[in-house]
Amino acid sequence: MSISLKRAGAIFVKDYKEFSRNYAVSIMLIFPIIFAFLLRGTGPSLVGAFGLVLNISFVILTSFAQACLIAEEKERNTLRSLMMTPATTMDVLIGKSSLVFVMSAVVLAIATYIYGYEPVGIWAFVAAIMFSIILYTAAGTICGLFSKTLLEASLSIIPVSIVFTGAPYAGMLLADDFPIFKVLEYAPNIQLVRLLNISNTASTTGDLLKPLLIILAWAVVLTIVSVVLYQRRLKDE
Amino acid sequence: MNVIQVEHIRKRFGNKDALSDVSFSIPKGEIFGFLGPSGAGKTTLIKILTAQINPTSGQASVFDQPAEMMHQSAQKMRFGILTDNSGLYERLTIEENLELYRQLYDLPRSSIDKVLQFVNLSGERKKKVSLLSKGMRQRVMLACAVIHEPELLFLDEPTSALDPVNSAHIYKGLRYLNQNGTTIFLTTHDMAEAELICNRVAILYQGQIQTIGSPKELKKQHRENVVCVELINGETCELPIDEGTADQIAAWMKRGLIDRLETKEPSLGDIFIKMTGSELL
Repeated sequence: MSISLKRAGAIFVKDYKEFSRNYAVSIMLIFPIIFAFLLRGTGPSLVGAFGLVLNISFVILTSFAQACLIAEEKERNTLRSLMMTPATTMDVLIGKSSLVFVMSAVVLAIATYIYGYEPVGIWAFVAAIMFSIILYTAAGTICGLFSKTLLEASLSIIPVSIVFTGAPYAGMLLADDFPIFKVLEYAPNIQLVRLLNISNTASTTGDLLKPLLIILAWAVVLTIVSVVLYQRRLKDE
Repeated sequence: MNVIQVEHIRKRFGNKDALSDVSFSIPKGEIFGFLGPSGAGKTTLIKILTAQINPTSGQASVFDQPAEMMHQSAQKMRFGILTDNSGLYERLTIEENLELYRQLYDLPRSSIDKVLQFVNLSGERKKKVSLLSKGMRQRVMLACAVIHEPELLFLDEPTSALDPVNSAHIYKGLRYLNQNGTTIFLTTHDMAEAELICNRVAILYQGQIQTIGSPKELKKQHRENVVCVELINGETCELPIDEGTADQIAAWMKRGLIDRLETKEPSLGDIFIKMTGSELL
């Protein structure tokens, strides 16, 4: 499938203009920063709290914004008009996802600075954040595709927050009594927290690589699912 | 050369045929009207021709390529589409909407000025779409569909719910495009609209083409073979077109008794009702 960066760029600029004038969605940009302010008193020793800030930010900013961008286009029939232009599925998805990616990266960088977290393995940390943004953007795309309106999109991220934020934490607490919950150890948010913890102690490349690869695997799988669903949901049969 | 060729197309949704054994062709440079009531299958055919759905059976080709290839970027550069559910970005201005399409089609900046002139909206370019009337929105959507001066234009009910002034703007634009070589495939349930701008029309009813031809040919085919005469004393009569009537009319004319003389020609709406036995909805 061909990709035109020029077309993806045009969609990025269009989405930026729309997003910046949509205050109901763009207000989400400030929440990760507020969380970082509120929790920075916990200090760098409480890495788990910072992991929670990151994971909640991925849901309420990354997934939510992407779901809203897709759902609004569906609601107003602009997505179908877009698909009738030379823009390919990948042009549209890359254009839309790039805006969410850039916004999330910038806001999370600011939140990390405010919180005062200093990763030992900076590249591992940056890579984990990037893979996570891709993962949650794909989750947002899927939510948007199954929503008919902006309101539905807002509600559709609740399952994402349950699956990727709440359930793994709860599961880990129950894992001693119910070993089956140990599988939730492989959830991306648990792996992110694990990676944040590792970077605070003496660590080997292997220690860093395992959580990174698990998050990457999640990102790849969800991205493929979102692209396939995008093509199917926009084909009337 | 045929721009569109459709052969025995059938499209089934569940247990209902939306299109059944539909065949026709459209040569380059024609304005072809696909007429029928709502639910007749008009939009389904546009979706097949633009690769949005696949037919259940039969073959359709556009620009001598199978219609399924129309999803390719190179083919999309060659056609434009305006459907009744096309959308615009409400928070952006007219110009910003067109700027997106300009970049997607990789056109020069001047194309925006040109298309705004074409839809007579040059003075409104900085207006937000959310503030536009329905007629103006429709013209902006037409501008988005034709900014790249396509070889083929699909229009699905382009003037539905528009007032006569806005409809006239759209017709004027379509004639201009057609004169410049754009082939136009138009669906409508407005028979008067089809009569006004189409070179040829096909009447679709319950998924099947009932008749096809130019409005003039169809009217001729379905013309009642009578002549209506109104005399100066107010008396009117319908006479069969034959030698006897010709002599009678000649005699009345010599005596200056005829006020009005006309053949009884059906409208496309009359032909539709005659062929399908139902009114247009």
